[in-house]
Amino acid sequence: MEHANNFFGSRFLATITPVSCGVIAVFAANLPFSFLGPWVPSPLYALMPVYFWCLVRPDLMSPVWAFMIGVLHDMLSGGPPGIWAASFVATYAVIDRQRDAFAGLSGVGAVLGFAAAALIACGAAYFIFDLYHWRVLPLTPYIKEFAVTVLFYAPVLFVLGAIYRHLVGPLRSDF
Amino acid sequence: MANGSWRIARTRGGAHLPLVIVAALAVALILFGKAQSSLFDRAREHVMDWMKPVLVATHGPMDGFNRWVGSIGEIFSVYEENLKLKEENARLRQWHNTAISMNERLKRYQLLLHAVPDPALSSVVARVIGRASHPFLQTLILDAGSTSGIKPGQAVVDSRGMIGRIFLAGESTSWVILLTDLNSRVPIAVMPGNAQAIMAGDNSPAPTIETLSQSTQLKTGDQVVSSGDGDILPAGLPIGVIVADGSGYRVALFADQTTTQDVEVLDFKKPPEQLPVLSPKDLPVTAAGLPPAAPPPQQPALSPTLAPVTAPPKNAVKPAPVANKPAPQNGGADNDAPGIE
Repeated sequence: MEHANNFFGSRFLATITPVSCGVIAVFAANLPFSFLGPWVPSPLYALMPVYFWCLVRPDLMSPVWAFMIGVLHDMLSGGPPGIWAASFVATYAVIDRQRDAFAGLSGVGAVLGFAAAALIACGAAYFIFDLYHWRVLPLTPYIKEFAVTVLFYAPVLFVLGAIYRHLVGPLRSDF
Repeated sequence: MANGSWRIARTRGGAHLPLVIVAALAVALILFGKAQSSLFDRAREHVMDWMKPVLVATHGPMDGFNRWVGSIGEIFSVYEENLKLKEENARLRQWHNTAISMNERLKRYQLLLHAVPDPALSSVVARVIGRASHPFLQTLILDAGSTSGIKPGQAVVDSRGMIGRIFLAGESTSWVILLTDLNSRVPIAVMPGNAQAIMAGDNSPAPTIETLSQSTQLKTGDQVVSSGDGDILPAGLPIGVIVADGSGYRVALFADQTTTQDVEVLDFKKPPEQLPVLSPKDLPVTAAGLPPAAPPPQQPALSPTLAPVTAPPKNAVKPAPVANKPAPQNGGADNDAPGIE
């Protein structure tokens, strides 16, 4: 009985961890403080867990969760609703199709793989934003966002990897 | 760091079908948000009100840390900075005295000319508890909201000049859209010359100038103030000075959004002009000593060609022109009625 309780507790923990990572990342990205100054946008932390878990545990990071994380990011960032949600879904679609190629990357390649995903997300957001306002907006803010996001991916990947190995990964065989 | 070193779960859980549905949902959300943005704004207000204690608690240490980091480089130039500030302070004192005497003179002239006084401004002082920087969105979060009388559209100024406008007001917090934000548009006047234009943010530290008249010549150092057009912002709020930027011009803002801590939210509402209620005594005919005209009898609707011509009253006399006053041309008699301007 105790073993069964442990099993279901662990399974529940494993299930909620990827989404919790996404929610925490959204709050981190939207903290109204910045060490980088006002002219450098906050990194797009929310994309990192979406990308990571979509690669390693797509069963725990479904498109619906990617969409919900995007909606939360839209709501807290103060921008028009749906833009980042749609961008995350578009990125998810690309990762989902090219999962083997992305997952096979290691070292600097893993960061470059994420950079490709971040480029898709920022590009999609820029395109939707242009359509939303019906004018061509300057690219610089999204280039900055993309650069800062890729720069901050390596330390976040370290944390996500640790969570995967110690919390979610060992439970994988239970499914 | 190697993605390949992890065993990847192959379960897709039928992800393809949800992707299509979720993509459709995302598009629907964008369209719905465009049409009904107030719903999301209300949700944001509630979230920010709910997070206010956390923001207030964390703002102090974070701000102290930022200030400490920022001041490291300044340690080596404290002496020069101090001398420069003393010199600037002495110069500003002279200007301060000049401004006081000019202000007194302006008041005297306004009194002599019976000028309409500027509308009184009330204000709320609020503290900045957060700053957010996203692509195309630069905002401040204040610790005062609708319970303090803050409403969307109000101007936000710091000790140096205008910094932005309120765009969301929760119960106890409010969001400020900065002048540098891409969505910011403020009607301005460039002095001297009072050239009217629109100042538009583009996420750079110095906003651009749009819709300026072709004949207007700008010069570096010209003062930029709010024009007050649209009756949303008070006229004459200091904003910045014109600076040259390649082939065009930009506005170097007085206010520093990166360091400002306390701001003032100006409650500017120009009440709609209330016309006095007219009594029969106020009519110019009555003032001229004549009985007011009887109201026309109710007639069934007739075509304009068949409408009867009302004969003037028998005792109608053309009023004599007022001495020392030229006869009005069009409707001038109405303008002579007391209380009607």
